[in-house]
Amino acid sequence: MRLRVESEAVSARTRSSLLGLAIALALADSSVVTLALPDILRRFDVSITTVSWVLVAYNLVLAAAAVPAAHVSRHRPVAVCGVGLCVFSVASLVCGLAPSFEVLLGGRCVQALGGAMVVASALDLLSGLCDSEERAAHVWARAGILGAALGPAAGGVLTQALGWESIFFVQAPLALAPLVALRGLRAREVQRVRGERPHLFANVALLFGSAALSAALFLLVILLVNGWNMTPAAAGAVATVMPLAAIASSRVAGRIGSTAVRAAAGLILVAGGLAALGFLPHAGWQWTVPPQLLVGPGLGLTIGALTQQALHGRSSQAVHGGWTIASRHAGVVVGLLLLTPVFTAQLNHNKADAKRAGTAILLDSRVPPLDKLHVAQDVLRTIDHSNGRLPDVSSAFTGRLTGPNGPEYRRIAAGLQDQLERAITDAFSWPFLLASGFALAGLVVVGVGRRQVTL
Amino acid sequence: MSRSVALVTVAVAASLALVVAYVALGGTSYKPAAVADPCTPRSWRAPHGTAETLEQIVLSTADGAACKLHVSREDLVLALAGGDDLSHFARAHGLSQDDAENAIRDGIVRAVDDAEQAGAIGSGLADGLRTVAQHLPMSIVLAVLRGASGLLSG
Repeated sequence: MRLRVESEAVSARTRSSLLGLAIALALADSSVVTLALPDILRRFDVSITTVSWVLVAYNLVLAAAAVPAAHVSRHRPVAVCGVGLCVFSVASLVCGLAPSFEVLLGGRCVQALGGAMVVASALDLLSGLCDSEERAAHVWARAGILGAALGPAAGGVLTQALGWESIFFVQAPLALAPLVALRGLRAREVQRVRGERPHLFANVALLFGSAALSAALFLLVILLVNGWNMTPAAAGAVATVMPLAAIASSRVAGRIGSTAVRAAAGLILVAGGLAALGFLPHAGWQWTVPPQLLVGPGLGLTIGALTQQALHGRSSQAVHGGWTIASRHAGVVVGLLLLTPVFTAQLNHNKADAKRAGTAILLDSRVPPLDKLHVAQDVLRTIDHSNGRLPDVSSAFTGRLTGPNGPEYRRIAAGLQDQLERAITDAFSWPFLLASGFALAGLVVVGVGRRQVTL
Repeated sequence: MSRSVALVTVAVAASLALVVAYVALGGTSYKPAAVADPCTPRSWRAPHGTAETLEQIVLSTADGAACKLHVSREDLVLALAGGDDLSHFARAHGLSQDDAENAIRDGIVRAVDDAEQAGAIGSGLADGLRTVAQHLPMSIVLAVLRGASGLLSG
């Protein structure tokens, strides 16, 4: 893409940074509301499966609209980017003010449409602003990785500090800021596109890798907040380990070997990290840090390398960039749609196991027989009022921890809490292992396609 | 070794090391504890008073019935304590009403035998309880069990 810069008031570097912000915003939205889902669920009184569509709808529309938006943006990238930013901003306001779940869902779909226009056109614009198309692709991919990885953490902090609506209210003006980057830019030449097919192996591997990474982000924050009762802000801080590791590693390993080697190494790290999350030996955020230190670098290596592979030698960066966005977000949708029911089924199964184990602890305890039933009723009431989060059973023992039976009640309370923590932590095990399988499937695709592309 | 091979080797080694370490630390067994097999006899504790004796008989009855029905003692206790009648429990587990009733009666007999052998109850009371178990209508048997221990009725 050739650009004519009619005004030097804004430097190319500033323009690139602002476009990076636009890309990061649009792609952060694929995961930014993850930590807000429990609040949204309560606000609109919908089921877990229904509320997950706040994420699914955005990713689905983004995946579907990315390639058409890229084709349109080839002709008028500046206009498409500007319109996309405005659509994204207005839709963000609609989401924040949504009086019903249906309006929120509609707003998310329109937001995704704007996001697709922004992301597709931004690659074309960056190609005109950077030294080379490779450099533009690198900036574009990195902005996307940062946005997607930082999304949950940013959403968590905002949800806790100001409520879930604030995520959208903050986005609305932020999305308008990159309009400054478009001032004085004119597309000088419409790109001629050869009839190139998208890079099959890179895009399919991106799909599998993104399905795995959606699990890493989505399941991890749900585990931290709903599973282990962390505040959204604290969970966001813990989940920040992943993007930080991604940034650090991309500086070190981002140039080693071919794109296929980097993608393979990245997918191995993602698979290993997710498998470790599937075998957590105890409940506690600190156990998620080592796996994140594998998944983060894996994220940076995989997305960067596969995007580079998909764009290499293609005459239209925007169109093939559009294909990578479509593949990535289709992968997120596949991941969410496959993993959510597995997780829900496993959670229900484990709840029954925990109930049995807790009942055994109570029945075999040495508190007076009549008290056992009262304790059981109080514990069940606590569980029923837990709103889908890890119940704190100690509240069922209030007033019972003193007196001659106090030590026995303390033992029962600790035993029940332990069984609940085990049940919830283990419920995430299969989904994480399945996600690890997605990463390994991506590795197979990279292996099969290795002979197709060597850079 | 080329840098490409080194990168892949480091990725494989780091991944394997972490997974093996987590498994070694108990990653495959961090799940809710399995409940005891109801068919395996439990040791009879020395009870303190009538309430505890009756509680042990009720729990032992639950063990015996659960063993016959191939369910856990906890499932049976939770269902009956939750107010379900026996027919509801039987339907939920694909059993006939007769199977469920016979299992409860056999469970009581087993529990009374155990209590008698442990010296927790005398032979006269044991005979009486066995008669109750074998001849009274099931609704009354359940009411007696619930009322006797105070455990299931609240």
